[in-house]
Amino acid sequence: MKFSIKRTAFVNSLNIVSRAISSKTTIPILTGLKIVATKDGLILTGSNADISIETRIKASNADNKLAIASTGSIVLPARFFSSIVKKLPQDTMTLDVTDNFQTRITSGSSSFDINGLDPTNYPHLPEIDSDDSITLSGDIFKEIIQQTVIAVSDQESRPILNGVHFVLSDNQLVAVATDSHRLSQRKVKIDDSDKSFDFIIPGDSLVELSRMIKEHQDIQMRISENQVLFTLDETSFYSRLLEGNYPDTSRLIPTTSSTTLQFEAPVLLSAIERASLLSHESRNNVVKFTLKPSQKIATISGNSPDVGKVEENLQPDSMDGEDLTISYNPDYMKDALRSFGKTMINISFTSPLRPFTLVPTEEKENFVQLITPVRTF
Amino acid sequence: MPKIHALSSVLADQIAAGEVVERPASVVKELVENSIDAKSSEIDITIQESGLQSIQVIDNGIGIEHDDVKNAFKRHATSKITDREDLFQVRSLGFRGEALPSIASVADVDIKTSTGGEGTNLHIKGGKLTDEEPSEARRGTDITVKDLFFNTPARLKYMKSPSTELSKITDIVYRLAIGHPKISFSLIHNRRELLRTSGRGDVQQVIGAIYGIQCVRKMIPFKGQNDDFKISGYVSLPELTRASRNYISVILNGRAINNQAISQAILHGYGSKLMVGRYPIAVINIHADPLLIDANVHPTKQDVRISKETELSNLISDNIYQVLSKQNLIPDALHRNHAVKPRYNNISQLNMNLNQVSDHYSRKTSSSDYHNDSSSVQLNSDQAIANDTNLKQSPISENYHLPKTVIIHSKSDLKQPDLNRFQSYFQNEHDVLPFDNEKSNQQNELNHNHANQSGRFPDLNYVGQIRNTYLIAEGSDGMYILDQHAAQERVNYEYYRQQIGQVSNDEQKLLVPIILDYSAADTFKINDRMEILNSVGINLEPFGKNSFIVRQHPTWFASGQEEDTIKEMIDWVLTRGKISVADFRAKTAIMMSCKRAIKAHQHLDSRQARSLIQHLKTCEDPFNCPHGRPVLVHFTTNDLQRMFKRIQDPHHSNSY
Repeated sequence: MKFSIKRTAFVNSLNIVSRAISSKTTIPILTGLKIVATKDGLILTGSNADISIETRIKASNADNKLAIASTGSIVLPARFFSSIVKKLPQDTMTLDVTDNFQTRITSGSSSFDINGLDPTNYPHLPEIDSDDSITLSGDIFKEIIQQTVIAVSDQESRPILNGVHFVLSDNQLVAVATDSHRLSQRKVKIDDSDKSFDFIIPGDSLVELSRMIKEHQDIQMRISENQVLFTLDETSFYSRLLEGNYPDTSRLIPTTSSTTLQFEAPVLLSAIERASLLSHESRNNVVKFTLKPSQKIATISGNSPDVGKVEENLQPDSMDGEDLTISYNPDYMKDALRSFGKTMINISFTSPLRPFTLVPTEEKENFVQLITPVRTF
Repeated sequence: MPKIHALSSVLADQIAAGEVVERPASVVKELVENSIDAKSSEIDITIQESGLQSIQVIDNGIGIEHDDVKNAFKRHATSKITDREDLFQVRSLGFRGEALPSIASVADVDIKTSTGGEGTNLHIKGGKLTDEEPSEARRGTDITVKDLFFNTPARLKYMKSPSTELSKITDIVYRLAIGHPKISFSLIHNRRELLRTSGRGDVQQVIGAIYGIQCVRKMIPFKGQNDDFKISGYVSLPELTRASRNYISVILNGRAINNQAISQAILHGYGSKLMVGRYPIAVINIHADPLLIDANVHPTKQDVRISKETELSNLISDNIYQVLSKQNLIPDALHRNHAVKPRYNNISQLNMNLNQVSDHYSRKTSSSDYHNDSSSVQLNSDQAIANDTNLKQSPISENYHLPKTVIIHSKSDLKQPDLNRFQSYFQNEHDVLPFDNEKSNQQNELNHNHANQSGRFPDLNYVGQIRNTYLIAEGSDGMYILDQHAAQERVNYEYYRQQIGQVSNDEQKLLVPIILDYSAADTFKINDRMEILNSVGINLEPFGKNSFIVRQHPTWFASGQEEDTIKEMIDWVLTRGKISVADFRAKTAIMMSCKRAIKAHQHLDSRQARSLIQHLKTCEDPFNCPHGRPVLVHFTTNDLQRMFKRIQDPHHSNSY
């Protein structure tokens, strides 16, 4: 196998695939990067136990300056290989596999010989035979991920909560995540789809995926029993699915409310950030809302016996309902507020010990953040 | 012919011997305990070939009447208890009436005994009386056990190496000697004397005979009592440790016992002063009403059931903690004991010179061993200007350690005026300022409390930093080197240890509740202890037969570890029966104090260093970091002078 290629194009693809390669693995060959050269171009593959990424560099694209002298395949140690490629002196580089998987990388006057591994030992990527593919707008999917992944649990004792639960039915995709302290739910209309799916994608995989989605890029999603495949142009992203039954979250979201507040999300966010400055120092990470709609008073306070206390009068855009005092973990509130960006939101409370919700004032149905309060004594 | 029949008495004895007479050490234990029960004041134990060839125990006790001797070798024959009530108030070491017949059934026993008149000599082999004749009229008993296990080859085959068997024998004799300091013991193996105690009632002298004079010097006495128990004993300073628990001797009413809870209580008393995997040398004598004790658990009587065991454990822990917390625990840089194994090698020689040595020691100690003493001595001579109070105090503080070394020969010695003075000294212990210097004298009246603290921890004057890691400081009695990381770690630990327990009661609600499954047995226990769990913020609701549901948890739980933390806390309660948030999070406190302390290789300017030393001084336990490593070491002025040959090394071994 021998080819030469424009280095920047190669580095770009290398960076994509490297996301899936970890230096710690029980199968040594997975620390490597698989390169396959065909007549049509190169296929780069990286994988760890959870995700696998495969990307193609087409010979037909003149920008790549890809010239394949002979086809074949090789697995190279990813850590060394990518740092070598990034440091090479010239714009183009040549890779030549000789006997015993010895690989020579040359660029200008520089030449490296590194030991490769037998590509036949590289695990096969999962096969997804399903033809049902759903096309999503990359922008929207990225948004879904960013809005839900904050609530994904990192609790290892309940692995099912480490993922985002997707349900596709009746032309609607619902994504839910909860770590049992808070919950995020996002609904999106999917046109031209009469299929129904129910699956859980690990939060970590989604974070990696969202970093790969470029602006205005459509993505195809295909589901098999325990794998999901996302196709983004030349790149395929495989992730394992979490197995098990996700708790039924539909009952958890309250439908009624006794007190409501309306806020500009960034305004409330900065107030919460101020109030949590002290609570973070404290043994008890809690801030308190005191709401008196009748007197148009809304205060947020934090108390840390070691350091001091903070109190701030809030200026909600509107406030209705009964008087209420409620405490909660400000970190959950901050995460939730950040996910709204610069929109107007409604916060609805039912009682000091019941979860409360945050929804945007527009499209209330489609996005909800739910937070459980802290019971204070 | 019937198939079921009663076994012959010899066979029955041999079966009983399987439990009572496990190895030569058991024979020694049983015979010596008999001698102790016979009110002997002198017991000589002579052993050949680790006891397999012969064990001879000679005492000067009350002896056995001629008519009783044969009965003594009958099964369940004893003079020690008579009726049922006695069984629950056993004041003697033995009471089962099993030892002698059991030993006689598996060995060749020769007993000569006399109550003062004409004696009796019996010879019993394999449980059969072979010879009976009169013997001399020396009061006491002389019993020789030969050819142990000659008729039970299976047992003989399982004997360990002679040195192991010997160490078991010495171990049991040591423990008995510690429990009975008023009895003079001697232990001779193959004509080599392994132990000789004076029988003067001084436990410290016994410890000296066993562990060596070096160790005794690093052991401190403690005593205490509550309504049910009276405890006294000696524990080693945290710098003197061993790699195993075998050096913890627990004597309960004169009986050497193994009790996990009590050993644990001793370790608890040390708190964080011990390094991981190191154990102290400790000797503890417990006196309790026999009613509280059930020794009738196992024929060897090493396992004892104690009522009110928790109270006893707390008493022990508290007293050890108290006594250690008063000590200046700064290890001496030059005299640190690096030894991992005990110095038994020249113990016999030590024994011979013991009286000499201990005299020597009591004179020497004030000048060179304990630096706090030496300081006051030097101050005495150096500071002619010392004020009145100082002059009064110094002679007393010079005698600080004398009570440990003074040997009382008879009861009348107890009334010596010296002793009264020591006693009064101990009662006024807190008023003494071993680290007196001019400054603290001036402050003395102004700030009494502060001066009290300085009694334990020296006033240090910061000199400089070495390698950006160690701080050098000067005290009135020499040079101190501090480890800056360990010092701040200790300071932080004392802070966080408190802080970490003071969590708020706030409870984070759960959206998806946690369900915990337990076995039926655990479920009962958990239900029993529900209140304890509620008190630390864990509210379990029954959920089905053996499951509990948790709907909220305390806010201090680390995110992502809620379920594990709850499980861990429940396990903690199941095993220990109690829990406090501070105890549960002690490890976190140690970790926090380590992480938030300045590291080695960090430059400190003199202000920072001084403030660190000031903070360290206010610590409850400034001598070790929470992991047990020393915070500071000490070079006495003498050490420094000796290192530079300003004064000559005295001509003795490393004993001082």
